[in-house]
Amino acid sequence: MSVERAGETVPETVVEEIRELPKRFQPGSRSAVMPALDLVQEELGYLTPAAMSQVAEALEIDPGYVEGVASFYSLFHLEPVGKHHFYVCNNLSCQLRGAEEILTHLKDAIGVGEYGEISQDGLFSCEPVECLGACEYAPVLRYHHRFHYDLTDAAVDKLIAAARGKRRDGKD
Amino acid sequence: MAKTELRGSHGPAPDHVLTRWIGIENLARIGVYEKQGGYRSWKKAMTELEPAELTNEVKISGLRGRGGAGFPTGIKWGFLPPPDGGPRFVVVNADESEPGTAKDRYLMENNPHQLVEGILIACRAVSAQQAWIYIRGEYDLQHLAVQAAIDEARAAGYIGEKPYGVDFPVDIQLFRGHGAYICGEETALLESLEGKRAQPRSRPPFPAVKGAWGRPTLLNNVETLSTLPWIIEKGGAEYAKFGTEKSHGTRLFTVSGDVRKPGNYEMELGRPFRDLIEGMAGGARPGRKIKAWWPGGSSAPVLTGDLLDTPSDLEALAAAGSMGGSGGVIVADDTRCVVRMAYRLMQFYARESCGKCTPCRVGGNWAVRTYERVLSGHGTADDLALFDRVQSGLAAGRCLCGLGDAAGWVIQWTMARFREEYEEHCLRNECSVEGGGRAQPLPSTAASGDLPPPEGRKLAHA
Repeated sequence: MSVERAGETVPETVVEEIRELPKRFQPGSRSAVMPALDLVQEELGYLTPAAMSQVAEALEIDPGYVEGVASFYSLFHLEPVGKHHFYVCNNLSCQLRGAEEILTHLKDAIGVGEYGEISQDGLFSCEPVECLGACEYAPVLRYHHRFHYDLTDAAVDKLIAAARGKRRDGKD
Repeated sequence: MAKTELRGSHGPAPDHVLTRWIGIENLARIGVYEKQGGYRSWKKAMTELEPAELTNEVKISGLRGRGGAGFPTGIKWGFLPPPDGGPRFVVVNADESEPGTAKDRYLMENNPHQLVEGILIACRAVSAQQAWIYIRGEYDLQHLAVQAAIDEARAAGYIGEKPYGVDFPVDIQLFRGHGAYICGEETALLESLEGKRAQPRSRPPFPAVKGAWGRPTLLNNVETLSTLPWIIEKGGAEYAKFGTEKSHGTRLFTVSGDVRKPGNYEMELGRPFRDLIEGMAGGARPGRKIKAWWPGGSSAPVLTGDLLDTPSDLEALAAAGSMGGSGGVIVADDTRCVVRMAYRLMQFYARESCGKCTPCRVGGNWAVRTYERVLSGHGTADDLALFDRVQSGLAAGRCLCGLGDAAGWVIQWTMARFREEYEEHCLRNECSVEGGGRAQPLPSTAASGDLPPPEGRKLAHA
């Protein structure tokens, strides 16, 4: 008996991929949970309750457990994000080199008032993140699985302009 | 994408152990790595030396863990019980997240085969046939670079059923982290690898006895493992010639913040930080003076600018009142308010607390709220005492892991070494550094929006 849960689900092909994941790990372990959530987030952009239930069912784990793992790690989104989401480092090394100003400019440029808010056209969102480990290139942001270094307002504007023609996966 | 400019040590130099080949074009390709002499140490480890001899070389080298704790690597290897026929693991800590630390990233993206070779040597030494690299999720390109190196090494037969014809089936796999600083702590990392919320375990049992999936496990950091090919090639005694009596070898430091040339610089341990910060990293920007610096990531107690001549070995740093930590050197000049920097670091520790131990879970947030009150012009003399109370509640080993201590040290040592700045903020609601005598507005990431408006004379400064 399964309870109807909110939000989009992932297609059966993804569920099949998820069922294959435990083979990589020690028998009986739950290590496949995070790789499974990764596949869901790549597909949907964030983790819906319905999709987390799919993961739970595919891995034969309690849905509450899956959600407990998802909510612990900051790279998992439990709320929708924009099609283009910016992770901007503002830990000390980047802050000393202007990360706050970059964040303010970015928010203005994509037209959001708060971090996590999605721009009206559904395209953009951003959040400040802790040290990205690229301190010699500060200030730094991560966007579509790539780092962007030595940020300036102009560099941010360029990224945004280029993004307007891109798909969710960041490809042109 | 344009090729990224290399910012850090590369090329041959007398004290370049880790970075001697970096800069060679296509070093990430196995053919180029082999041409430099790569995988010869792996061959030596498999065909000329017994596992116990490998451990012995590392003990002789005096290599100490480069992740933060500085524990002697060879001794750690010796903690694993003798093989009992069941699985054993080498787990690589590639979750580099200590603020101001980028050196493992530098090693993985520029010389991934060196890491792979080091992992294989460690596997052989402790008779582990499966290695897991736990790499932080933000390191996308580095993940791909290491995966490509593993694939090439597998195709070449270095990883597989019978490397060099020796019956020692060995494999390396990657596991992606998902944004949690706590995973740098080794038992939290293991929890995460097992698919759980990353909360540290109580010890004993130690991972050497009961680690990943309850089996004997060796955990080492990327830089530590990347050093092994050199040690096995040239011998532990040769490595021990670098450094001081107790801190042998070289270290890859990340220098960031208010310097002219931030970068990852390799330096012999014991050389003074002045060589690193003013020499390699170019020193403060024109007209400015270095005021504060964290020598080993944000978890190492802050030092004052007059201590740049401190030698870089772990003992000298301890004597100066700090620690070697992760080797991430964050530099701040005389235009920076120490209270604000401490606030930023405290936000970090509060957010990254895993919530398991009460002093850390509660204390971090308490400290953040206190900083926000003080920085927004509501400080009082009571806050000075409050900072002290919160600090002593966090530190002193009250938590399962070091995160609580590190959070406490941020308050303790910024206050001890820059007392006058705390007094300015708490007693007079002024900031002579950044605010020209006024308290400055909080950055956009401040948590508390519900503070009462400042009253009386404080209004002038808000």
